[in-house]
Amino acid sequence: MSHSIAFASFATVVVLAVSVSGCANFATGETKLQAVKTVGIVSAVGDQMSFATAGLTGLNNSTQSFQIGSWGLDDLIVQQATTALNGRFQVQPVSYNRSAFAAIKDSPVAAVNLVRGDPFKKLVQTEVSPQGLDAYIVITKAKSNFGGGGRKVEGIGFITYGTLLSSHNQIHALYEIRVFDGKTFEVIEKRAAAPLENSGTMNLTGPSQLVDETFAPNIGDLSRNEKLHGAITDLIVHSLPSTLSDMHLAAVR
Amino acid sequence: MNQAVQIGLRLSVCGGMRRKCLGPWLAALGAIGAASESASAQTAFTLPAPPFELPMVPSVSGNWTVMVGVGGEYKPDFEGASRSMFSPVPIFSIRRAGSAEQFRGPRDSASIALVDFGDLRAGPAGKFVSSRKANDYSELNGLGDVKTAFELGGFVEYYPVDWFRTRVELREGVVGHHGTVADFSGDFIVPVIQRLTFSVGPRFTWESTQATSPYFGIDAMQAMASGLPVFNAKGGAHSYGAGAQVSYRINRQWEVHSYVEYERLLADAANSPLVTLRGSPNQTTVGVGASYSFDFRIR
Repeated sequence: MSHSIAFASFATVVVLAVSVSGCANFATGETKLQAVKTVGIVSAVGDQMSFATAGLTGLNNSTQSFQIGSWGLDDLIVQQATTALNGRFQVQPVSYNRSAFAAIKDSPVAAVNLVRGDPFKKLVQTEVSPQGLDAYIVITKAKSNFGGGGRKVEGIGFITYGTLLSSHNQIHALYEIRVFDGKTFEVIEKRAAAPLENSGTMNLTGPSQLVDETFAPNIGDLSRNEKLHGAITDLIVHSLPSTLSDMHLAAVR
Repeated sequence: MNQAVQIGLRLSVCGGMRRKCLGPWLAALGAIGAASESASAQTAFTLPAPPFELPMVPSVSGNWTVMVGVGGEYKPDFEGASRSMFSPVPIFSIRRAGSAEQFRGPRDSASIALVDFGDLRAGPAGKFVSSRKANDYSELNGLGDVKTAFELGGFVEYYPVDWFRTRVELREGVVGHHGTVADFSGDFIVPVIQRLTFSVGPRFTWESTQATSPYFGIDAMQAMASGLPVFNAKGGAHSYGAGAQVSYRINRQWEVHSYVEYERLLADAANSPLVTLRGSPNQTTVGVGASYSFDFRIR
């Protein structure tokens, strides 16, 4: 027991020391944001939609991806973010190579990610104009495990999840937001959009919603599936302001 | 980098103080539950930024999900024992928020996936094996104590389909014994309904002589003191068995689970006089537990 008490005391001292020095000497993302006046917004979330089957799938583990660029989700995201940020920041339009941002993938090997640093840093420096704004807000696809097994899904998608007694359909809009310092291009803040309040116990770590069979996409005519388009749009519209607010970028929801 | 850090443990760390440890765990669990009943996706608290960051080490800043809980295990008094007792088991895991909790088997060691392809994961693994005190159980009289062991190694797990996991752990004793242990397991993971998951699968363990002999070997001194015959325990196939687990997610924060693991000792582990004369090769562990998850943030 004496070892436990000694360890607890040591841990308390370390936590206090870290807390005090952290408060005293180092600027947090929130304080760094106070100096930001002008921002540009980059979005590369919504060019593709994935269709996955998960859970009790038989031997079918397939995931397919289809183009949904015609839905204009990235333009919608930029527009919604601009609305949320205006007032606190002066949002300036920027041009960028969307496909370059959408093509970035995390390496499955953690060490590779550590060595190369944030993969979007170089793109913000080279693929976004104009340069010289105080900060750049970059919104890209996020990834989540699904179903407790090895399955990962990302970005915009539709999942059919089979259980022993039933199956259900779920749509998701998984994205993360980075704020880059416009001078140093270091990441000031980074956050993945959280699940919506009404998403129950669904095992996804970002905005998602259960949908019924009528939302099931007809793959061949995906771009005309307005019901699915509307539901995905709702996920983004409902989650984006709260995510920006959580990052201290927008006014409280 | 979200997928890189996930640590989980279910350890019996309280040794002889097991029963006394349960109270504080329950109190802490209750306090956390009461404090953030409506936590949902919100962070429960925010810690200040660390005073420094090390090069090549991922920043700890950001959101984290912590799972704390308490469980109980009814398991053999020691490996090879015929009698069992109930002991509390703390449950703790921490992972980057935004990375969903993945399937864990009751026998899995604490591990971190540094390579994560989704269906193929690998990384370091470590296991704490508590000491065996001769004074605690009459069957061990004269055999002396076996020190606490800590085994370090790695794991690889592969999901050929969503509902089946295979996992291998290979660990080397770095404290206590200095033998090698290899655990093989397979788990059929069956979601019965959205909230209820059942899993079941086979188990097999191989151990080297250095990992087996401290627990099952009997030297001349021990033989004289215990009345058991001298036995030179060699390594090899150590046990086979099966395990099953059922978990029910009440809501985003709360989950309850129960499991049973059966092991049949093999070869010299089963043939040791400690087992044949004073114990049993049939080893069954039954466990229950409840856990609570919440998010916190480091600036």
